Amino acid sequence: MTEEKKFYLTKEGLEKIKNEYKSLKELKLAKTRGESPKVLQSEDLNPEYLIFQEDVSFLESRISEIDSIIKSATLIKFPRKEKQNIVDLGATISVEVGGQTDEFTLVGSLEANPSAGKISNESPVGMALLGHRIGEAVVVSSPIQTTYKIKKIKYRTS
Amino acid sequence: MKDVLNFLIEVGKLKRNKRKGWVINQIKDPESIAEHVFRAAILGWVLGRKKKGINLEKLIKIALVHDLCEIYAGDTTPYDSILPKNKKKLKELMKTWPRFSDAKKERIAASKYKRERKGLEKLIAKLPSDLKSEIRNIWLDYEKKLTPEGRFFHQADRMENFLQAYEYWEKRKNPPLVPWWLWAREFFDDDVLLEFLTVLEKRFHRRKKR
Repeated sequence: MTEEKKFYLTKEGLEKIKNEYKSLKELKLAKTRGESPKVLQSEDLNPEYLIFQEDVSFLESRISEIDSIIKSATLIKFPRKEKQNIVDLGATISVEVGGQTDEFTLVGSLEANPSAGKISNESPVGMALLGHRIGEAVVVSSPIQTTYKIKKIKYRTS
Repeated sequence: MKDVLNFLIEVGKLKRNKRKGWVINQIKDPESIAEHVFRAAILGWVLGRKKKGINLEKLIKIALVHDLCEIYAGDTTPYDSILPKNKKKLKELMKTWPRFSDAKKERIAASKYKRERKGLEKLIAKLPSDLKSEIRNIWLDYEKKLTPEGRFFHQADRMENFLQAYEYWEKRKNPPLVPWWLWAREFFDDDVLLEFLTVLEKRFHRRKKR
């Protein structure tokens, strides 16, 4: 069962999950008919599909999981050009923190992966940065006070 | 059964393999990977109970499986690509949180995944096929955050790591906690784990005053 919450997804994230859903549904249908699914013959095969091919219950639970995600998904839309100097969901932000430079993209919880530079809008730092502009210094305390100085904000599709 | 025996003997190695993060922080007699897994499972279970709709059996299995890949892939830390050989420089580095470009972060994450997936496949290669796919699927759930259980444990695992860092700091004032707090506020977004972090923070303030 999925948590009852809204999933904010980037355009790429939503496309990716919709493609996975389509492929897994195709896989399930082919398995029901006893056919060899096209998705397994594809050259850019996602190796995880082979696992779903082996394990039907895992395949079904993943399909149901994606179904709930798509139903409660909200697409992240970039703000109008004149508002692109303000941090919002989907922004890639360059900051100066503790004398070092860092860069991360603000995404919804589902796509968050801090070790790959994607920070959740529900994390304390994500929440603190939202709504701030280039040049502003955002102080995040609790328990150690740290200042994130916003150097650049970009809205880009990957 | 012979292959299961061999598998369990390999798994036992995690009882002796020390966690690299503590080794580079020069913590004396640091915990093993298996010790981390044990409390991560307990933490996942007791805090997971507060999450609506979480399958606790699945969650505990994810906890038990998530670091099996490290038998062959080894433990990794965010500092690995910039570790100096000089002990003094190393100590200084541990006072900061390593910052990389987005591209470098993605390269590090991709290489870690590849190495760990290979390690897991090696470990489970000779297991009966149903057990092999169960372990692989559980691990993938954790790695790719495929289900609410996988997503929750992904953060619960790091919370255990943070708790251990905190305990070492409380006893020995090492590792330096500043980078840990910095990282935690960027990493955690789960409501239950953020509530737990607040409780830990209050304890930190009390101890700091002493």
